[in-house]
Amino acid sequence: MAQETRWGRFRRSEAASGYLLVSPTAAYAILLLAAPLAMIILYSVFRDGYLTVIPAFTFDNYVETWSSPIYRSVMIRSLSVSMAVTLVTVLLAYPVAYFVSFHVDPSRKSLWLFLITIPFWTSYLIRVFLWKVILGYNGVVNSALMSIGVIDEPLTWINYNIQAFVVTLAHAYAPFAILPIFVAMEKIDRSLLEAGQDLGESRLMTFWRVTLPLSMAGVVAAVLIVFIPVIGDYVTPNLIGGGKIPMIANMIENLMLVRDNKPLGSAIAVSAMLIVTVVSLIFVFLNRRFLGGTK
Amino acid sequence: MAAPGARPAQTMIEFRDVHKYYGDYHALRGITATIRAGEFFSLLGPSGCGKTTLLRTIAGFEGISSGVVLIDGKDVAAVPANKRPTNMVFQSYAIFPHLTVEQNVGFGLRREGLSKEALAARVAEALEMVGLKGYGARAAHALSGGQRQRVALARALILKPKVLLLDEPLSALDKKMREQMQVELIRLQRQVGITFILVTHDQEEALVMSDRIAVMFEGEIAQLADPETLYRRPNSKKVADFIGTMNFLPASILSESDGQIEVEAKGFGRVTLAADQAPGAATGGEAMVGFRPETLTILFDGQQATDRETMATIEEVVYYGDMTYYDVKLDGMDSATRISMRNVFGRPVLDIGTRTRIAWSPGALVLFR
Amino acid sequence: MKFSGLRLYTILYLVFLYAPILLLPLFAFNDSKVIAFPLSGFTTAWFAEMWADTQLHNALKNSLIVASSAAILATTFGVFAARASTRFNFPYKAGIMGLVMLPLVLPEMIVAMALLIVLLAMGVNLSIFTIILGHVLICTPFAVAILSSAFQSLDKSLEEAAYDLGETPLSTFRLIILPLVMPGIVSSLLISFTISLDEFIIAFFLGGNQTTLSVYIFGQFRFPAKVPSIMALGTILVLLSIVLLSIAEFFRRRGLARSGTKDTGGFL
Repeated sequence: MAQETRWGRFRRSEAASGYLLVSPTAAYAILLLAAPLAMIILYSVFRDGYLTVIPAFTFDNYVETWSSPIYRSVMIRSLSVSMAVTLVTVLLAYPVAYFVSFHVDPSRKSLWLFLITIPFWTSYLIRVFLWKVILGYNGVVNSALMSIGVIDEPLTWINYNIQAFVVTLAHAYAPFAILPIFVAMEKIDRSLLEAGQDLGESRLMTFWRVTLPLSMAGVVAAVLIVFIPVIGDYVTPNLIGGGKIPMIANMIENLMLVRDNKPLGSAIAVSAMLIVTVVSLIFVFLNRRFLGGTK
Repeated sequence: MAAPGARPAQTMIEFRDVHKYYGDYHALRGITATIRAGEFFSLLGPSGCGKTTLLRTIAGFEGISSGVVLIDGKDVAAVPANKRPTNMVFQSYAIFPHLTVEQNVGFGLRREGLSKEALAARVAEALEMVGLKGYGARAAHALSGGQRQRVALARALILKPKVLLLDEPLSALDKKMREQMQVELIRLQRQVGITFILVTHDQEEALVMSDRIAVMFEGEIAQLADPETLYRRPNSKKVADFIGTMNFLPASILSESDGQIEVEAKGFGRVTLAADQAPGAATGGEAMVGFRPETLTILFDGQQATDRETMATIEEVVYYGDMTYYDVKLDGMDSATRISMRNVFGRPVLDIGTRTRIAWSPGALVLFR
Repeated sequence: MKFSGLRLYTILYLVFLYAPILLLPLFAFNDSKVIAFPLSGFTTAWFAEMWADTQLHNALKNSLIVASSAAILATTFGVFAARASTRFNFPYKAGIMGLVMLPLVLPEMIVAMALLIVLLAMGVNLSIFTIILGHVLICTPFAVAILSSAFQSLDKSLEEAAYDLGETPLSTFRLIILPLVMPGIVSSLLISFTISLDEFIIAFFLGGNQTTLSVYIFGQFRFPAKVPSIMALGTILVLLSIVLLSIAEFFRRRGLARSGTKDTGGFL
């Protein structure tokens, strides 16, 4: 047999076929995702020259992002809203996932899941807006309570504030939390639970020592899948908060487009990505460390 | 076996020093062998021994790193799988789930441009051959395991390949079904006369079905022989251990001259063996004599040994219905030896601790050295 | 029932999920400009008013163009990536697939702004074309996820069998692989379409002066008088998504039945 060239071997190899197939998608992602993200990172260390960007290296944007009380309070607000939403969503979702996975007849599971997912696919904007209509000063809740005489004047603690954000977002991301937990629970071998009880544990302790640790991977996925989009939510602060209680996304928009300070906007965007990454990593790490869960 | 005047069996497949590497892993280590036209050939070995890889090099799904594979005298290095005169029955059967039985079986005929009627006739013929007459319109996913197996066979045989490759085709079936399919495969092979190459890890299956068997370990062929030779004259302890059960006794070689080997075997004493009773090459290790459990016989009252006789104590009894296995300690031995006895009506199963006479024959011994 | 507590909780949870959405038809047919109880009477006037706005027609047309293009492109990219990642091993696979899936874990605002900066720097005019670029980016991960599971459940020996029976790699793809993953392709198309139709941030920032349906709806929120007709539009959209989802679910189940695998429930 003739000696093959390196290139000839590569061309018929698995790697070459893989690269050839993945290349259109990868090229698209590199051009329209990796390159723009790199551009943002680059902008974040440039100087702003009002309406232009001056390519001179500086860390000033980061210094301002992290030292200015305004930006810091927006970041803390975003972080606390998304942590609260994540906590509420995941805690409320867990029993639902548990019910569907363990107490629903297998042939009807997809029907339940279908019911749970439908609201998620209805217009996000309209769902957020509905909460404004429900919780507003002249909204559904207040008008209903007043018409049946429970209250005399509209409640104000339910509208246009952080609590309203949390309710709205928790509703919006509910199915996001249920699905990964459900998937993790489905993977649990049912005989493990029988083994747990066979070895003398009560139902509750079996849940605690077997089901919960084994479903933890799903909980981690649920936490990340809720936490990440919520911290970057734009619509809820805009609609429910009337634009007066901004979160990170509103701040980025404001800097990039209204004040046209792209370097500072980029620095905040990069910082937001860093925060998301760090919080996610800490969470995954804690889960590994204390629960032995795997991701 | 060959009829008088018949040509010597032709070679269908030939491997010449075939090597296959996956990265650093050496999967096939210098395979040299020939498979004859029209024989039922098995590749037997534990999982990971390279038997499936070797089969897939014939099919064309795996390239080889060096060496030559010839099919019907032709080097197939440059021939892709879809152009080779071989067809395969997959371990999972690979029945196309979106097609009917008919469409599955006729799949490979698409390129022959047959008329509708001719195609239907060929498919019906193939289905009848595998005992699935009238199943043509069934959906593929509505078939049982045994039926899938038959569809896979019909689909491969309809193309009249020179070689049919079977990758553990019976492993997914239950015991009864497996035994039934073994018989049917043998019948089918005789009927169509095509070379069958079977990959299996089940030694019993290989012994039952094959004309010849290649036993493989770690990417090499350890022994290639017909079933009887393989069973009676294994060329290494490893092959002997893999196929059936074999007892081993430490031995020392006293002398060796013109086809006669004088051996002192522990528990048996001094025996003279013929040269063909030492089929393996000398490894330099400790010498052993081996023998199958059924070559020893427990002598009941009044029975006489036809050859040699020794005393033993029964240590363990395992009752199998048609057979009973006895683990006995031959006098002068520390470890147990297994004997299998066919249960005969009216003869009792012996108890543990019984002293008994054992008949044995030097001709049944194999020497490993 | 033994676990009635858990069942009751789940039902209450579903009520919480559905309650706001049920308000849509309630107030869409309510004869009052104000969204408040008590209800005042039945009317279909809001549907007529909604449809009378010609801006809506334009936004709808744009949305359909954007969503169909994004669905087709994202599914095509999804087929390539899913096939590559399930069938072949290649160096840096995890990294490449990670990048493709990245939009799933990236706040949309950041994707939108990053793209916007590059497009502006390149001097590209914002239009529905630029919206499509962005939507393909965020729909592709969903397409890859759906199609990967479709390709994954495909037994590799099916392809080998077809090849062994004389087909070429291309005809094997056409005769075996494509029909078997078709249900996955259909549900990927439908889900990408739905995501794109619903998407707001990218459409808002990358559309220039072109509006899609979601941007149109967002604009209407500013006018309290428009709220009832938005409720009417919302009612129609909810019905539409239920229809699309049911079709997607139907195809998913048919795919499972075809490949003979057990239903593990739910897409994604």
